[in-house]
Amino acid sequence: MSTTTLKTWQAYAFAAPAFIALLPFLVACVFILRFSLSGESTAIEGFSIRAYQDLMTPFFGRSVWLTLRLALIATIAVMFMAVPLAFLLTSLTSPLTRRLLTVTILLPMILNLLVQAYGWTLLLGPSGALNKVLQSLGLIERPLFLLFNETGVLLGLIQTSLPLAVFPIVSAVRGISREHLEAASSLGANNWRVLKDVTLPLLRPALVGAGSIVFAFNASAFAIPLLLGGRRVQMLGVAIRDMISPLFNWSGAAAAGMILILMTLLVLVTSAWLVRVTTEKTKG
Amino acid sequence: MRVALLPTEHGGSYRFVMLALAVVGILVSALPVLVVTIMSFSATDTSGFPPSSYSLRWYGDVLQLFTSDDPSSAQSVVDSTITSLVVATIVMVISTGVCIPLAYALARGQRKVRAGMELLFTLPLVFPLVMLGIAFLLIAESLALELGIWRIAIPHVALVLPFVLRNCLSAMNGISVELEEAAISLGASPMRAIWDVVIPLMKAGILAGLIFALIISFNEFTITFFMYTIDVNTLPIWMYSRTVSSLDPSTLALSVFIIAADVLLIVLVDKLIAGKGNLF
Amino acid sequence: MKYTLTRRGLLKTGAGAAAALAAPSILNASGSLSGKEIRLLTWSDNTGLAILENIAKPFEEMTGARVIADRTGSTSEMVAKLRASGGRAQYDVITLAGVGAVELAGDGLLAKPDLNQLPNLAKVDPRFRTGADGHGIGYLLWTGGLIYNTKTFKEPPKSYAEMWDASYNGRLFLPPATWTDALDTIYATGKMIGGDGTNSEEAFAKLAELRSNILTFGENPAQLSELFRSDALDIGGVYAPAFFAKELANSEQSNMGATYDVEEGFFADLMYTIMPKEKPGADDAVHAFINYTLDAKVQGVMAEAVLNGPINQEAVMSEAAKASPFIVKPEQLSDKAVVHDKTFIADVREQWISKYQQTLS
Repeated sequence: MSTTTLKTWQAYAFAAPAFIALLPFLVACVFILRFSLSGESTAIEGFSIRAYQDLMTPFFGRSVWLTLRLALIATIAVMFMAVPLAFLLTSLTSPLTRRLLTVTILLPMILNLLVQAYGWTLLLGPSGALNKVLQSLGLIERPLFLLFNETGVLLGLIQTSLPLAVFPIVSAVRGISREHLEAASSLGANNWRVLKDVTLPLLRPALVGAGSIVFAFNASAFAIPLLLGGRRVQMLGVAIRDMISPLFNWSGAAAAGMILILMTLLVLVTSAWLVRVTTEKTKG
Repeated sequence: MRVALLPTEHGGSYRFVMLALAVVGILVSALPVLVVTIMSFSATDTSGFPPSSYSLRWYGDVLQLFTSDDPSSAQSVVDSTITSLVVATIVMVISTGVCIPLAYALARGQRKVRAGMELLFTLPLVFPLVMLGIAFLLIAESLALELGIWRIAIPHVALVLPFVLRNCLSAMNGISVELEEAAISLGASPMRAIWDVVIPLMKAGILAGLIFALIISFNEFTITFFMYTIDVNTLPIWMYSRTVSSLDPSTLALSVFIIAADVLLIVLVDKLIAGKGNLF
Repeated sequence: MKYTLTRRGLLKTGAGAAAALAAPSILNASGSLSGKEIRLLTWSDNTGLAILENIAKPFEEMTGARVIADRTGSTSEMVAKLRASGGRAQYDVITLAGVGAVELAGDGLLAKPDLNQLPNLAKVDPRFRTGADGHGIGYLLWTGGLIYNTKTFKEPPKSYAEMWDASYNGRLFLPPATWTDALDTIYATGKMIGGDGTNSEEAFAKLAELRSNILTFGENPAQLSELFRSDALDIGGVYAPAFFAKELANSEQSNMGATYDVEEGFFADLMYTIMPKEKPGADDAVHAFINYTLDAKVQGVMAEAVLNGPINQEAVMSEAAKASPFIVKPEQLSDKAVVHDKTFIADVREQWISKYQQTLS
């Protein structure tokens, strides 16, 4: 059976409004690309690839590597929490608990990041509640440093991107037909088997979609590394901000932005391609 | 279905692991908010967690902010809140309005086009916001148009598109063509079939999209920071200047207030769209 | 948003008329500015808040003009925004750190204020009247030194070298690279190891030793205050006491102390008020506002509120403010004070900021 029911012109007509909405952004993209090739650092003037050449330093390389690494770890951690959360959300029968849980998961998107960082400091800071408890129990002598380093940044990234993953997965979970699962369990497969052989493969497109959105979001993060990294974790987003002000190297910032975008896209395209290849294989 | 995904009993290790992971997720989401909420009820004005005594005095301060002519800032919190609400509503309506037909076109259109389009509409998420902010500002200034509130709304729409589209697409995936075909064979026009059959089935996804758009726009800071003007600014901008100068409990009380406002908005949208509550 | 405009306008005219009667002598333009609007851009931190309370509000009451304030950003963010919006300035008057004024003046974005319309300037210490090639009018002196934990230090630290003490490992903060204070820190380190401050290569080598000792960079003063209160920080600098006027008055609870009395000296930077070339507001109102920032009483009140040095030599200060070790008046700038040559800073700025980032984060 073909899934194509739309004629090409119809598909274009349906997509047109969204394109118009996206257009200002696309203009901005072209603008940034053009800026990255500018010969001047705060204006578009002439052509030069100097901005890119200037970025080829070990410091920038480390920053790129750090960004990819943290974004990847955070994405994996988020997926491990988002799937069970989506299962939990869809299996709750009481509407009140379901609403409470939904709002709870959305909370990190709502609260001002400065205030959230303050909340984390009270909890996990060097003299925060956790360290106080551990110290009074005699479990540690010196406080654990959980904030103002990579651990703090990871925590923040996970927290802010979790809702982005949960909701697409919830929608997909709702779409899994009951028969699939019942058939699997009636064949005697235990829960883990059902998860591995039935649920996860069915959820794969949604998982990849959610994963990419989380990865992209984290790779371009800048407020979190700034606030929970105590400025010591130089992710690309922070580096770009510093180039915009106070360094006023806007062409450099645009070039760094382009590199970040290309890398993220590369990761996204590769993962989408991997999924396609593996899905086609399993389908035989 | 529900029983199999998260068994209520006899789940063994599976149930335990799944629940444990979910609990970790809930803690990560809720803990800072919880701390901040508790602190906002503190009776003292210096921080220390947990507070030694509790009171509602900081909420009184917040109430005063909204009711009196704000003495400490010429930017009024009421104006900022109204601007934020208007922008968020515009963004919500436009982004969802354009994403529903797009999601439909992508789900029913050609496979090959779909992957590319999905990627294209993920782009706003990939761009570092600071860079986007300054790019939008430079473009807006070079156009020299009086855009008013659209200065902020236009970038916001682009920004929320990935989220809204993802949610609409996930919902669209589960809707089989047969349903539509059945409706058409019963005499409905194709548009009618979409409106009567597909849209109701997409409701959960649409609702999630609406709410994401609302929340993201209402709380967006980075791009707005570049785009706001002295006459058009939003609540997060107002809040930012406040948190930088002090993190006293009244700021925390204000945060709790903003959370409450968000939750109210979410519930409102949910009621309006879903009637009996479909997202939740 | 129109309705608040009128509501506010009415309120202000009423209050303005009353205030004008009460204090007619201070400003010759009093009352004549009613209905005029001034758009002010200032810092988001507590120093900006103090401007609204102690300058904008009384100015509104006295003259009947309305001050609309945008209190969002640091100096470098202000410069970025003004540069991006080019000629289309939305502000009439901006307060910012010295280096920002020099940069904007260099871009040709600033107007030269008419000094004849600023009578209060006559009372200002001649060294601090104008800057940025005549585009900046002196405002207040920003001063930076060492911030320390009063629980840890019974006596204030005497040298920046204390920051290298191993016992403060993990309990140290430094200014963020994006702030001028970071440049001061490099300079101080250079002097500490025996140079004149411009010996940046050696200074960076020395600073690199701190890399793993730092708990955080002081991007957010409110966060620092919380870390001191919870006894998680011991020392840090170069940083301005200006952010911590409240905390320093109550070190019992805040654990915070500050000192300028450091072997290598402390840092002073003249801040400016500037006027963009294309401004929406009326010339006389803007000049009246700038003049008002230099008023003897205003300078005294501001000095006390944000621990900045008043540049009006007749600044009226309370006894407590006069005795405060944190408020440095121009005449107290001994040879201990480092006042940077702005052109030198402009030259090395970009390179030092990048190097500082690369060395420490």
